[in-house]
Amino acid sequence: MTEQAMRPQFMGARVKRVEDPRLLTGQARFLDDIDVPGMLEVAFVRSPYPAARIMGIDTKAAKAAPGVRAVIAFEDCPVVLWQKDAYEVGQPVLAHGEVRYVGEPVVAIVAENRYVAEDAAELVTVHYEPLEPVLDMYRSIAENPRRVHENASNVFFYKKYTTKGFDEAFPAAAHHLQETFRTTRQTAVTLEPRGTAAMPDPASGRMTVYASTQSPHRIRGDLAELLGWPENQIRVIVPEVGGGFGMKANTYPEDVVVVWAAHQLRKPVKWVSDRTESLLTDVHARDDIHEVEVAFEDDGRIIAIKDHLMADGGAYPAYPFSGAVGETSLASRVLPGPYQIPYIETEIHCTYSNKTPLGAYRGVWGPIASFVQEGIVDRVARAVGRDPAEVRRINMIRPDQFPFRNAAGMVYDPGSYGESMEEALGLIGYDTFRTRQTELRKEGIYRGIGISVFVEPTAMASSEAGSVGYESVFIRVEPTGKVTAAFGLGPTGQGHETTMAQLIADQVGVNVEDVVILHGDTDSAPFGGGTGGSRSGPIGGGAALVAGREMRQRLVKLAAHLLEAAEEDIELGNGQAWVAGVPDRAMTIQQLAEIAYTHVKRIPAGMPIGLELVARYQPERSVSFSNGTHVAEVDVDIRTGMVQVLNYVVVNDCGRLINPLIVEGQIYGGVAQGIGSAFLESLRYDEDGQLTTTSLMDYLLPEATDVPRMMTKHLVTPSAGEGGIKGMGEGSLIGAPAALVNAVSDALEPFGVMVNRLPVTAEDIRQWILA
Amino acid sequence: MEITCEVNGQPVTVEVEPHWLLADVLRNQLGLTGLHLGCEYGVCGACTVLMDGEPVRSCLSFASQVAGHQITTVEGLAVDGKLNRVQTAFINHHALQCGFCTPGFLVTGTYLLQQGKLLNREEIREALSGNLCRCTGYQQIVDAVEEAVNQQSANAVECE
Repeated sequence: MTEQAMRPQFMGARVKRVEDPRLLTGQARFLDDIDVPGMLEVAFVRSPYPAARIMGIDTKAAKAAPGVRAVIAFEDCPVVLWQKDAYEVGQPVLAHGEVRYVGEPVVAIVAENRYVAEDAAELVTVHYEPLEPVLDMYRSIAENPRRVHENASNVFFYKKYTTKGFDEAFPAAAHHLQETFRTTRQTAVTLEPRGTAAMPDPASGRMTVYASTQSPHRIRGDLAELLGWPENQIRVIVPEVGGGFGMKANTYPEDVVVVWAAHQLRKPVKWVSDRTESLLTDVHARDDIHEVEVAFEDDGRIIAIKDHLMADGGAYPAYPFSGAVGETSLASRVLPGPYQIPYIETEIHCTYSNKTPLGAYRGVWGPIASFVQEGIVDRVARAVGRDPAEVRRINMIRPDQFPFRNAAGMVYDPGSYGESMEEALGLIGYDTFRTRQTELRKEGIYRGIGISVFVEPTAMASSEAGSVGYESVFIRVEPTGKVTAAFGLGPTGQGHETTMAQLIADQVGVNVEDVVILHGDTDSAPFGGGTGGSRSGPIGGGAALVAGREMRQRLVKLAAHLLEAAEEDIELGNGQAWVAGVPDRAMTIQQLAEIAYTHVKRIPAGMPIGLELVARYQPERSVSFSNGTHVAEVDVDIRTGMVQVLNYVVVNDCGRLINPLIVEGQIYGGVAQGIGSAFLESLRYDEDGQLTTTSLMDYLLPEATDVPRMMTKHLVTPSAGEGGIKGMGEGSLIGAPAALVNAVSDALEPFGVMVNRLPVTAEDIRQWILA
Repeated sequence: MEITCEVNGQPVTVEVEPHWLLADVLRNQLGLTGLHLGCEYGVCGACTVLMDGEPVRSCLSFASQVAGHQITTVEGLAVDGKLNRVQTAFINHHALQCGFCTPGFLVTGTYLLQQGKLLNREEIREALSGNLCRCTGYQQIVDAVEEAVNQQSANAVECE
């Protein structure tokens, strides 16, 4: 491993966030706070049908309404979000000839303000001829009742994989079981809805785009390509972003229309989604079916898994990637989880339907695959009559097996799989739980424990958010000795301004408050992939370490020259450089910086003027696996079907921690989303293809009273990458749903219940108990 | 129509249309963009402000309804440029991530603080259950409010 700063003072410390003061006083600027004189606002006319031909659009009345500046249809703005090398179809930014999901944008109204725009949207008449919608995955695979896109098969992604030897091993095992696991559509629901604002820059004539996105350079590249403009004519600025969770990693139709309108009208234009639009049109996720067969031995050893994975990708591939492909293909490769299951066979069908496009939501494949994998283990345990923890021990990958190549060919770097489980079981008091459980059942209380041991692929060389496997940092020690560093990341609440400053401060030898982190402006930031796929910590943080180290080397060289000492004798810290053992022979970093910029004759020969550089970091490994164990303890009220989460333990291993305070915040938040995923959140379509959950009164998010106090513990198995850092943004949501529903299955063991769906509702539980 | 009210301790007179929402007038006419619109129908709580000391949803109130009343927004919570107890506790406990919902929690938390009662964690969770947060899982928010409210109450008891 590469040598870190001599005395890491900030990495690993519970440093309070530099972002907080502006957010706590109402001073932060989110997208809807962007306002400039003359700014126009957009409202969209959206499809009320899941499938229909557009027979005509009458915009006369809307155009004539006072305050309306433009009414835009596809003919005006003929742009298609189409990744042609990957998919046969793309989504027109405004519907073209046909609508394919409820909520699809059809016409855009640009007006003096949102009130006027929305009123004018009511005046647009679209004549539709309804078509029979495609709503069922199984039927869609068979091209029934019809094709969603006339010229493309409903199956837009197919893949099959078999481990060598599977065909012999599967039938040879002593026992077999089958299950179908179903996840219902969910979505990220960032508290800040999506939005975009665009304005021609009066000075340069370029287009400035404010985007609520996770990936500033990606959206700039997308806009340049789609609109046919040179990239350097677009400046993307990402303001404060109120949550992303993968959902803000895409480029959406509305983004393009807003930028196009600003360009045409030469006026600033803004659109901010309302909550109904969000639930209808933010990418959905988790619409998957896994038909699983498992082969296992008497002692619970799992020999082979066969899985038919299906995902409903919605009407179009979200741009530039379909969540259906992401959810299934990675699930198929990480399905064995932390277990040494030698054989696997997977077959994947991703299909089109007349529903909202499927994209990313935190964890993407992970919450689904963990739910399937941990559901399999619990079923095997019940089938052989052994304790679920014991069956996990029998199958767990041992420390001496790393690096471990799983049955699908994924290579895991070292982790603390078994250790994390034992720690978590200890924290929740598993040893005595079964006795307590038996006693409580006599009183009519159905209490259960669910275990979920997860692996989390992080720092992937190419994640869904970033098309690149590296991150870049531009770092400058200012003439005053303060440090400015710019990143291509797109934080949405993760606190990068704090964590990246911690890493750089240690390297450069200054205090964390002397480092300013910039991000989200393509004019100042070097090219980067953005935030997503749990890559910002390990890859962005890795780049921060490399940039900081290179700057450190430059400062050391300069200090050695000026202090007439050997470079290896120079130490940096607290804003000072000094000769080791001779603290009097010292200079401040401010003095060094002043010389580097203004007294350049004193710089040693061959050293560049100034203190600025760009560093890039791409991990050598294509992926680094974090891991951990969640254990949930729940009570199920068998009269009402209501579940109460009583205790919750997370033992997490994401390598070296940059800031435990922030890591724990990510864990708590992910578990809460897991409670939503397990029990509350469900986007439901009726038999006509209408989404019936279009408000937060129908799509339920966990409230403070739904979430228990959680207990966390950190284990540290460093990665081989810079700083030993692994990613961790998604692991908590990957692990949680499986732990929660397994706890319900455990509580309801006397009724023979094994949960096979996400979410599981009170109604489901009542039906199972009555059956 | 013209309305006069007090916003963050200052008298304000503003010309509004009868159908304009309080949230929009505070944000657009008065430039107080600290309150946020997360749902526009009173579920998420990000737009919460105090009206005469009581929390209200500014997305469900018309601006015309606040004539003659006192409004406090997140911008008005700090006293003499110093963060109040709830705001400070939010930093110490890392009770915010993206910060979009935070103004609503701070306003609700400050209301609890002003009630001057000792609250246990369950009571705090119940009191905060009208504010949604998608990032934090509430744990550090409850920790922060617990510290702020109970420190204040403990101090008040000592003073007596």
